[in-house]
Amino acid sequence: MRLRPVALFALTTGLAVLVGDLTNIDAQEKVNKKAKKKVDAPATEPSEKIPPRAPRPSNPVATPAAKDDAALAKVIDAEVTRKLAAAKLTASAKCSDDEFLRRAYLDIVGVIPTADQAKAFLDNPSGDKRAKLLDELLADPRFGRRMADIWTAKLFPKDSGNRFVLKEPLYKWFEEQFNKNPGWDKFITSLVTATGTVADNPAVTYFLANRSVDKLTDTTAQHFLGIQLQCCQCHNHPFTTWKQTEYWGMAAFYSKVKADNPKNANKGGDNTTIGVQEGNGRTKQKDFFPEAAKNVNAKFLGAEEPKLNEKDPYRPALAKWMVAPENPYFARAMVNRTWAHLFGRGFINPVDDMIEESVASHPELMDGLAKHIATTGEYDLKYLIKAMCLSETYQRTSKPTADNGADTKLFSHMTMKVMSPEQLFDSLAQVTGNLRDTRGKGQPVGGKGPRVGGREQFVNFFLAGADTTSAVDYEAGIPQALRLMNSPIANNPATIRALLGKDTKPADAIEKIYLAALSRRPTADEVKDLTAYVERVGAPDAYGDILWAVLNSSEFTLVK
Amino acid sequence: MFSTKLQDRSRRDVLKLAAAGVFAPTLSGWLPVLAKAAPSGGTGKAKSCILLWMDGGPTHKDTWDLKPDSKGAGDFKPIKTAASGIEISEHLPKVAQVMNHGAVVRGMTTPEGAHARAKYYMHTGFREGQGGVVYPAIGSLVSQEKGAANGAMPNYVAIGGRSFGSGFLGPKHQPLLVTDPNRGVEDLKSALSLSTFDNRVGLLEQMEKAFHREYKADAINDHKTTYERAVKMMQSKEAKAFDISSDPSKAKYGSGRFAEGVLMARRLVEVGVPFVEVSLGGWDTHQDNFARVKSLSEQVDAALSALVTELKDKGLLDSTLIVWMGEFGRTPNINARGAKPGRDHYPRAWSLAMFGAGIKGRVVGKTDKEGASVVERPTTAQDFLGTVCELMGIDHTKKNETATGRPIQMVEKAKPFTKDLL
Repeated sequence: MRLRPVALFALTTGLAVLVGDLTNIDAQEKVNKKAKKKVDAPATEPSEKIPPRAPRPSNPVATPAAKDDAALAKVIDAEVTRKLAAAKLTASAKCSDDEFLRRAYLDIVGVIPTADQAKAFLDNPSGDKRAKLLDELLADPRFGRRMADIWTAKLFPKDSGNRFVLKEPLYKWFEEQFNKNPGWDKFITSLVTATGTVADNPAVTYFLANRSVDKLTDTTAQHFLGIQLQCCQCHNHPFTTWKQTEYWGMAAFYSKVKADNPKNANKGGDNTTIGVQEGNGRTKQKDFFPEAAKNVNAKFLGAEEPKLNEKDPYRPALAKWMVAPENPYFARAMVNRTWAHLFGRGFINPVDDMIEESVASHPELMDGLAKHIATTGEYDLKYLIKAMCLSETYQRTSKPTADNGADTKLFSHMTMKVMSPEQLFDSLAQVTGNLRDTRGKGQPVGGKGPRVGGREQFVNFFLAGADTTSAVDYEAGIPQALRLMNSPIANNPATIRALLGKDTKPADAIEKIYLAALSRRPTADEVKDLTAYVERVGAPDAYGDILWAVLNSSEFTLVK
Repeated sequence: MFSTKLQDRSRRDVLKLAAAGVFAPTLSGWLPVLAKAAPSGGTGKAKSCILLWMDGGPTHKDTWDLKPDSKGAGDFKPIKTAASGIEISEHLPKVAQVMNHGAVVRGMTTPEGAHARAKYYMHTGFREGQGGVVYPAIGSLVSQEKGAANGAMPNYVAIGGRSFGSGFLGPKHQPLLVTDPNRGVEDLKSALSLSTFDNRVGLLEQMEKAFHREYKADAINDHKTTYERAVKMMQSKEAKAFDISSDPSKAKYGSGRFAEGVLMARRLVEVGVPFVEVSLGGWDTHQDNFARVKSLSEQVDAALSALVTELKDKGLLDSTLIVWMGEFGRTPNINARGAKPGRDHYPRAWSLAMFGAGIKGRVVGKTDKEGASVVERPTTAQDFLGTVCELMGIDHTKKNETATGRPIQMVEKAKPFTKDLL
C-alpha cells in the first residue's frame, strides 16, 4: 500500500498569487511586479501517455430498484453490521428519543429544538415519530440555511481578492436551491455553468469569489469530485498518479470564462451589476488565466479530451461529464460527504481528498450508495439524508459499550460531534433570545441592551481565522470560553424570566431549562441535586445559575 | 496499513504525539522525514517575543535607512546611535541611545505590495491562498512551540487591532485580542459576585463529570481543559498584567493607545506570555509623509526605548525579542500628490528592526544609494521568520499538519541571519 509521502507535499513552487488590489500601488511598483509575475509553465511532458485511472473498484452492495428510503436504510445497516461482526465489535444501543431529536435537529436544520418542540416529541407515543420528524426537518426552510452555511464557507473562501464581492446573493441562492432540492446533478450544473450578473443569477458569485482558473479548478475538484488537485498545478501529484497536465486540462474548461473584477465598494461600487460571461475565445484577463496554461487542451480528469467547438461554451461539457452516472467521482463524493455530515467522518477521509490509494472503511456500501443515488436515486440529497438518518446506524447512542469505545471507523456507536459556530450561535440565540441574526443586514448598530454582536461576528470569533472548525474535535480556546461565560450571552436575567414564566416550582423550572437547552428532561438525580441548589441559593438567581451552567456545558456544545 | 490509521488520527492527536516525540521509527514512509528534521539552529534563548506591528507599511528611508544624498531624500536627517556605525532618523533619538541592543535589517525584499496580502505574508511567510490552506501567523507558531498547554495565561496576545490568527493550527493558538489597553481583556471579568461565579462553576463541574461518565468522548475532556484554563486565568495573579492602570512606569512610554499597549506587552512578558503583538496604525503615508512619520516616530521613540530600557533593568532583555516592522517599505521617491506629498507602497527594498534577545548593535543588509534595491544580503520574509524562530530556540523546519493531514513546514526555505546579530 502506498503511504502518503507528506513531506513532498510541502507547497514550495512559486505560484504567482495574483494581487487583488492594485489601487494604491504606484507605477514604479507595478513595473517591478510585472517582472516578478511568473507562473510556472505547465508540465513539459505532454507526450506522456497517462493511463485512465478510476477509483479502486469494489463490489457495490445491491440497492433497492426504486427510491425507497426505508429499504436503503436496511442496506446500510446490513453492511455496517457485517463489518462490525467481522471485527468482533458490539454495536451500541439505539439512542434515546432525546438524543435522536437533538441530533436530527442539529444535523438537518442546524439548531436545537425549542422546549415545546422537545416536549411534544418526547411525549408523542406514536411508533413512527422519528421518520415523521425527519420529513418535517427536511421540509423546514432552515435546512437550506444549514446547508448554505456549509457551502458558502467552502465556495466563498476568505481572501483579500474577493472582499468586495457580495456574499449574500450566493448564500440566498444556496438556501433556495437546497430547499428546492432539484437534484445534486442539476444543482451543481447550474452553479458550474452560471452566466449573467449577480442580480440576475447569484450563482455567478462562485466565479467572482474564486476569480482565476486555478482557484476554480481546485474548488471544483475538491468539493464536487472529492479530490485535491492543487499540488498538480505546479508539479505532479506526489502520492497519486495525477500529472500536472491533468490539472491544466481540467482548468481549460474554465478558460473562456470572463469574470468581472469586483468594484471597490468603499468608493460606492455596485457589485450586483458585475457578473460572468463565457466568450468565444480564451479569456485574455491575465489575472484570471495564466499565460502558461493557454496551450493545454480541455481534458476530463483521468479521461478523454472532448471535442469542443471553440464557439461553444466549455463549461456545460465539464458539468455533463461530472454529473454523468458513470463518472467515478461525483456521486461517491456526494455520498461520502453526506455520510460525514451525519456521522462526523466519511467512509474515506478527508472527504475532499479521496485519493485513490485510500481505502474506504465500507467501500462496497459507499459504491452501492453512489451507484444508487446517481441512477434510481436521482441525485436526491434529501432522500439520501433521510435514508441515512432512518438507519439503525445513525440511530445509535454515542455512549460506547465496554468494547467499542476505541472504534472510530466502523460506526459501532455514534460519533460525538461538536457544534459548528453557526449551530452554536443559532442555538444560543434560540435559548437566550438576546442574540440577533444579522445576516444580510450588515453590522448591527450600537444601542442599548446587552453588548452582543451579530451572527457573522460571533462565527468569525469562533472560527478564529480558519475556514471551518473540526466536526469532531473541540477546538475552542480561552477567548471563546471567556465570551461564553462572561459576556451577556449567558448572563441575561431576562432570559430566565422569559423561559420560566410563572413557574415557581423548582422541579418544573429545572425541567424547562433542560428541555430548552439540552432537549431532554433532567434525570431524577439532577432534579434532586438542583432542587437542593435552588433551596440553598434561592430563586430566581439559582435558575440563572443553572441556565448559565447548562449553556456552558459540554453537553450543550456537543452533539451527542 | 498506516496510511488509514494516520488519517484516523485527529489533528489534535497528531500534534499531541508530535509534541511528545512519540513519532517513533515504527511509522515508516513519511515519518522518517519528520524525524530527520534535526533542530535547525534553534539554539536561541529568547522566551518571549514582542512584535511592534507598524500597520500601513512604514517608510524605510525616513526611519532606519536614511539616504541624505539621494534624490528622494526627504526632510529628515540621520543621527548617530549608541551602536557605532549605525545611523537612524533624527526623530528616534531615544531609540538611538539603545541601538547597541538592537539591529537594523536593511535588506528586506518581499513580493507582496497590497496591504492585506502583504500583512498576511509577513505574518505567516506564505502567500495568501497558496495551496488552499490558511497559514498560522508567527504568533500562533510561537504559541504552539513555547506556550504552556495548561497555564493560566494565553500564549498569544494581540493588542490594539486585528492580527492574524492561527489558521490551520486551530483556535487554541488564536490570539487573545485586547482592543483597548485601558479596558483590558474583553470578557475577562465576570459581572457576578465571586460567590455566584463559584457556585456556577461548581454546577458546571458537576454536570461535566456526569456527562463524561456516560459518554466518555475526548471532546468532553478538551472542553473541560479549555474552561479550566479560562477560569484559572480569570482568577490568576498573572492576569493582573492586563491591568495597566497603576503601573508606575506609565509615563515613560508616552501617551496614547500604542504606548499603553507596549506597556501592557512588557507586563505580559514579565508573567511569561510568549508572544505579544502591539500595533500602531497610520503608516500608509501616501500623503503628508513627513509630518505624519515625525509624529509616528515620536510615539515609537518613547515606547520602544522605554520598553528596551525597562526590560534591561528587569533582567529580561536577553530573554525577550522585540521586532519592529510593517508589511512593506515605501517608495524611495517622493510622489507628486498635491501640496503634502508622500511615498507609496514599496516591497522591493525595506527595513525592519529587532532589539533584545542578545542582539548587539548590528546592521544586516544594505540598499543602494536611493534605497531602491538591496545590494547586500537580500532578506526574505522567510529568512526573517526563520531568524525569529532561531532566536527563540524554535526549530523552524518542523512540520505541522493541517486538518486534512498535510504537513506544512513552519517556515519554508529560510536562510536565517541569526549569527549576524549576536
